[in-house]
Amino acid sequence: MLKSTHKQVQFAPAQDALPDGWTEHKAPTGHTYYYNASTGQSTYQRPVSAPEPVQPGAATHSTEHNYIPLGFDSQQNLQHVDRFSQTSFRGGISGRGNYRGGRDFQDRRRQQADDRPKHKSAIPGYTPWVLVKTKMKRRFVYNPDTNESFWRIPEDLMKGVVELERIERERKERRQRGEPSDDEGEKVLTFDNKNSRHEDSEEYEEVEITEEEDSEDDRTSKKQRTIGDMEDQPVEFDEDDIAYQLKMMGQDYGLDPAEYGNPYEEELEEGAEGIPLTEDDTKALFRDMLDDYGINPYTPWETLIEEGRILQDDRYTVYTNMKARKDAWSDWSKDKMQILKQQREKQAKQDPRIPYLEFLQNHASPKLFWAEFKRKYRKEPEMRDSKLSDKDREKWYREHISRLKLSSSTLKSDLTALLKAAPLSALNRSTQLGALPSSILSDIRYISLPALTRDSLVQTWISTLPPAPETSELNAEESEEASKRRADRERREKALAAREKLVEEQKRRQQKELSYGRGRMREEERELARANQVTKTGLKGHFQDADEDIQAAGGRGVEET
Amino acid sequence: MPPIRSHGRNKKPPPDGFDDIEDTLLEFSNKMKDAENASHEGKKRHEMIWPIFQITHQRSRYIYDLYYEKEAISKQLYDWLLKQGYADANLIAKWKKQGYEKLCCLRCIQTKETNFSATCICRVPKDQLQENQTIECVSCGCRGCASSD
Repeated sequence: MLKSTHKQVQFAPAQDALPDGWTEHKAPTGHTYYYNASTGQSTYQRPVSAPEPVQPGAATHSTEHNYIPLGFDSQQNLQHVDRFSQTSFRGGISGRGNYRGGRDFQDRRRQQADDRPKHKSAIPGYTPWVLVKTKMKRRFVYNPDTNESFWRIPEDLMKGVVELERIERERKERRQRGEPSDDEGEKVLTFDNKNSRHEDSEEYEEVEITEEEDSEDDRTSKKQRTIGDMEDQPVEFDEDDIAYQLKMMGQDYGLDPAEYGNPYEEELEEGAEGIPLTEDDTKALFRDMLDDYGINPYTPWETLIEEGRILQDDRYTVYTNMKARKDAWSDWSKDKMQILKQQREKQAKQDPRIPYLEFLQNHASPKLFWAEFKRKYRKEPEMRDSKLSDKDREKWYREHISRLKLSSSTLKSDLTALLKAAPLSALNRSTQLGALPSSILSDIRYISLPALTRDSLVQTWISTLPPAPETSELNAEESEEASKRRADRERREKALAAREKLVEEQKRRQQKELSYGRGRMREEERELARANQVTKTGLKGHFQDADEDIQAAGGRGVEET
Repeated sequence: MPPIRSHGRNKKPPPDGFDDIEDTLLEFSNKMKDAENASHEGKKRHEMIWPIFQITHQRSRYIYDLYYEKEAISKQLYDWLLKQGYADANLIAKWKKQGYEKLCCLRCIQTKETNFSATCICRVPKDQLQENQTIECVSCGCRGCASSD
């Protein structure tokens, strides 16, 4: 019966008929638009084509039908309640919608096709049973074990369902209050059509639409809105409509209808805001934001908030309270500071004098006293560098200014002297002008001449130099090692010299002792020879002498050992 | 709160890392100057010195955090900053003690020469105060600095 209505209504429009494949629709804003399901096009302008031959009989029938009062269609629906029990509610709407003519059937059919299970939640206490909610906000209970499902909730399950409703309401309230929801068993179902059809066809019970007050309200409001749309009343332009407009734009850009769905799916999308961020994601998002804004990690948190640059960012709101934000920021700044520290350690240390002297060469002039110069350039980084003291800066400035007054020949000879003083390893033929050794760059004589004359001078000087000695190719580490080796060697040589000296000393002493011993022996021999010549004093005198000799010799022997 | 020493022309250069925090410290000192020169119009007598205490607290906390929490500045720099008077060493010494982690100023824990020989109202934890009782202590305008808050 419904189908027959549809066929008649399709040719209903009083104006010229739409070309083949085009259907007329109404946006929630009240605009009429036209959609071609086969090409996926949609337009606000009514497509015109070769006028189709309209069957006059059908047309009259449809006009008749259009004027059938409201009750009629709903009566029809009531008659078919047992047949299309699950569609009775929709039938009510579409029955009224028949005033509009051609489009309501499209709606109805779409709704019929789209009423699908959306959420499944386990009923607490009745384990195999689940409460399934459809997209149309109707629900039924389903037992996956026995494959039973009922539109009317059985008496014994009712308690569990009420309990579930209560839990869900609480969760909703909590979400409204902005607290994080612990989404437990809330899953979006992807029932295939076969399954749902099976359920639909198996049970022809009277639809138990609701027993909860709030869901009833939802439904009626929805119903009213739908009716309002259909009756072309001025409607408020709310968020749904904006979303709808966006969809329309999507259509205009030739997107497939399946990508943005139909207007009645809007209820579905409210689930999308519930994608929970994990702790890590939240943190990473917040840190990304801090990175993106190029925030100095050394600025205090209060300053950051006062500046208010990050307040506009969406990622600022990933944390819900200030304490969490501050914690995240302090973690981030801690890490960032460490990274900066490491980078700074890696960087080669440059003599702070070099940039300052370069700055002097560019900006110093004899017309400015030091105080004036300092005042004029107090904001420059070279003038604020804390590595140099103001005293030194002043000294160099004065020296530079006084040198500027000297004749250029003196300055040139000074520069030559400076270049001459540089060792060949640092300054040689292969040295580039941009990479002069720091000993030259940090000298006041280097900046006295104007840059052009100085550079040509240095260039010519470099070209006269011999190539770099071999050792200059060694890198710093090697040269350090070499110097260490040299120092070692020196130390060893010194030790050797000291040792030789000691040995020399000992040798000399030995020599001395030897010669002394020889002298002693010779003495004894002479003594003996003398003793052999017996004199008139006789043997007595001779013995006395020998005793003395032995005693003296023994004492000396002890000494020598 | 002694004034910050100037490190002018005849001083040694500050330790490494001072350049990073120099701008923030300059900002603090500008704020301090503003607070010092602010008009007293329409303020209570004791309210005049509140911003001074608050800025001192903030600056000390900043340096304390950099050294103890974030470990971003060296010992030399920290000592130098204390010596120059950028942070209040006595206040920081209190922060290291349990129960004083958030202390607002030294005056608020001074029990001598107060009416009841007790510490300031801002040292009382929030849960021991009456419902919806808001406080601003007389000495530094603190709204509560108990560690449990």
